[in-house]
Amino acid sequence: MKARIIAAVVLAAALATVASTATGSTKRASAQQVVVWVMTDAQNGWPGAIAAANAQFQQQHPGVDVNIQYQSWDTVLQKFDAALAANDAPDVIELGNSQTVKYMAAGAFSSLKAKNFPNSSTWLSGLKASCTYRGKLYCVPYYAGARAVIYRKDMYRQAGVKSVPKTYAQFLAANKKLKKKFGKNRNFSAFYEPGQNWYVATTFVEDWGGHIAVQEKNGKWKGTLDSPQAVKALTIFKSMVRKYSRASKTQDEAHPFPSIPFAKGRMASFIGNGWEWPYVFNPKGGAAPKSFEKKMGAYPMPSHIKGQYMPTFLGGSDLGIPISAKNKQLGADWIKAFTGTQSETLIAKAGNIANSTKLANVNAHNPSLAPFAKAAKYSWFVPMSPNWTNVENSHLLKQMLTAILTNRKSVQAATKSASKQITQILNASQ
Amino acid sequence: MSSRFSGSAAAVTETALPARRLRRSLGSRLASGAAPYLLILPACAVIGAVLGYPLFFMGRLSLQHYGLFQLIRHKGEWIGTRNYSHILHDGLFWHVVFRTLAFTAAAVSLTMVAGTLFALLLAQLGSKMRLLLTAGLIFVWAMPVVVAVAVWSWMTDFEFGVGNWLLTELHIGNFNHHDWFANTWSGWAIITLLVVWGAIPFVALMVYAGLTQVPQELVEAATSDGANPWQVFRDVTLPLLKPIFVILTSLSIIWDFQVFNQIWILLSGQPPPQYFTMSIYAFTTSFQQSEYGLGSAIALVMVAILLVVSFVYIRQMVKIGDAE
Repeated sequence: MKARIIAAVVLAAALATVASTATGSTKRASAQQVVVWVMTDAQNGWPGAIAAANAQFQQQHPGVDVNIQYQSWDTVLQKFDAALAANDAPDVIELGNSQTVKYMAAGAFSSLKAKNFPNSSTWLSGLKASCTYRGKLYCVPYYAGARAVIYRKDMYRQAGVKSVPKTYAQFLAANKKLKKKFGKNRNFSAFYEPGQNWYVATTFVEDWGGHIAVQEKNGKWKGTLDSPQAVKALTIFKSMVRKYSRASKTQDEAHPFPSIPFAKGRMASFIGNGWEWPYVFNPKGGAAPKSFEKKMGAYPMPSHIKGQYMPTFLGGSDLGIPISAKNKQLGADWIKAFTGTQSETLIAKAGNIANSTKLANVNAHNPSLAPFAKAAKYSWFVPMSPNWTNVENSHLLKQMLTAILTNRKSVQAATKSASKQITQILNASQ
Repeated sequence: MSSRFSGSAAAVTETALPARRLRRSLGSRLASGAAPYLLILPACAVIGAVLGYPLFFMGRLSLQHYGLFQLIRHKGEWIGTRNYSHILHDGLFWHVVFRTLAFTAAAVSLTMVAGTLFALLLAQLGSKMRLLLTAGLIFVWAMPVVVAVAVWSWMTDFEFGVGNWLLTELHIGNFNHHDWFANTWSGWAIITLLVVWGAIPFVALMVYAGLTQVPQELVEAATSDGANPWQVFRDVTLPLLKPIFVILTSLSIIWDFQVFNQIWILLSGQPPPQYFTMSIYAFTTSFQQSEYGLGSAIALVMVAILLVVSFVYIRQMVKIGDAE
């Protein structure tokens, strides 16, 4: 009967095995290999840039293999933690610019010299800041992305919307017309906004002068989503979403990617990243025929303040070299190849903002992508605290939005409890 | 019938060994005395390596502050039992414990009742229908959890789900864009349904195997004494199959208590706190908040609770083993 007791322990201790088997092992056949973890976005969106970087790298290091291991945003940090614990970290890793602070503060990256990397004097200041901790550089800017409204020109025309909205009032008026014209289709959203897309909700908060959190004079953080400005913004956001969006209120913008229902004609518009434009045609995304592009347009989300756009989240990615990487020099050389002008131009053409202001005009004459660059004129970023990633990972902003949009809690009550939690997480000791 | 269980087999060997030992000389007694321990050594070594060490490591981790900073330096910071006192004062933790226990109770009872009903159905069916039903049950059982959950998550999908479409087409109501997980009760109903659905085949087939071993003359005798089917089941079948039910129930408790994949995948890897079970709470604390010490403490408390819950059943099994 001991066997049964043991069985009980075996199964109950499954967590122990989760902990010990979840390690993404990076196989290393020989030293003549550089292991690179980048997100699947590159695999789907700009494989050409990877190929160009690999070719350039191998010219410099003949005989060295480049082992690209594509990662997904959902699990990369888990795997990275496990790899750090197992002393099996990759030589290069891509992290989101809101995730880097936690890892820089914990000493996960080797420090770098900016002058060793191409175009470093013209790096986007926002990305460079996300790679700098206590005056030292720990990663290299990779690319940034801005969000804009992607819309159906033909639907806007049919609904009688003559020109793209220039103010928030015009945006609401356009949606009203669209809903009247197409709303009988029960799957149709005039403006499709997945309830847990907190990037868009925070865009409203920032436009009305609120912030997620502010740092006080004594260095302590304070969650401020319950400030009058933020509450006002979220109330306006809630009424707009409940009126014009039929997207799920319990899912985020990756489940499904809005480009999929967009390609199926289920909406007139959504707020998307630059790369979501080509994703409408990607077989893994909307899989729309190329002819569909004629019906598509984009414009920066207009602010409630005349003549401005709503500030967009300046999301982006950086490339770092883990402190325990085996081939740091090879890693640095691969980053140099990948963030050089040639690769960055290809990355920008895929709908992104390149890491250097030198390449700001790559998409200037591309009518579909130019609005995204314009939108980046006004931007916001998450609180620069080493604990910010823990706020993101706890999904509390998403859950706050679900509670607000489903009327489970009032805006005041939901923001109050979220702010309390944010304050607590941001001020936790390391 | 119960000879299939190692419990009774072990009981038999235990009583047989000493009798034989007495008849031997001292030398061979020492040799044969060591033999059983030698034979069990490899098993103990394997269990120690794959189970003992991780448990020991987890226990050590649970007494440390072990965040990202400590992880990179491979050196935790000893803080005694602070992780445990943190848990005990954490309101969310107690909610999660209670929810996990309630879910386990619901899922296990549903599984056992539905599984037994399926077994009784199997016993009544003709050979062709029985084959068909058995095949269906085996397919469900053979389906990897991840695949099964992916199928269910598509069926209940908000935007494109076939479930909402079907319910609307059948005029049961307007389920267009119905969000099954917006309401915690309906969300948990889907999760319970999925877990029970996946667990029924095992229970049904095991109980059916047991049913085929119930001596027919006992059933006939009871029937001719005027017992109705329910009385036959209660007074003849149930007592005979008790060992099977005890084992199935304890296994179900162990499985359902630590359900993880179903909830994790259905809710896209970011379940909100009202969908936390203990295993999810331990996982998110460790891997999303980088609080590995705290996460280990939660996991160990979970192991302890599971041991207490299943102790009653394990003792029952030991008793059954001793009695035979």
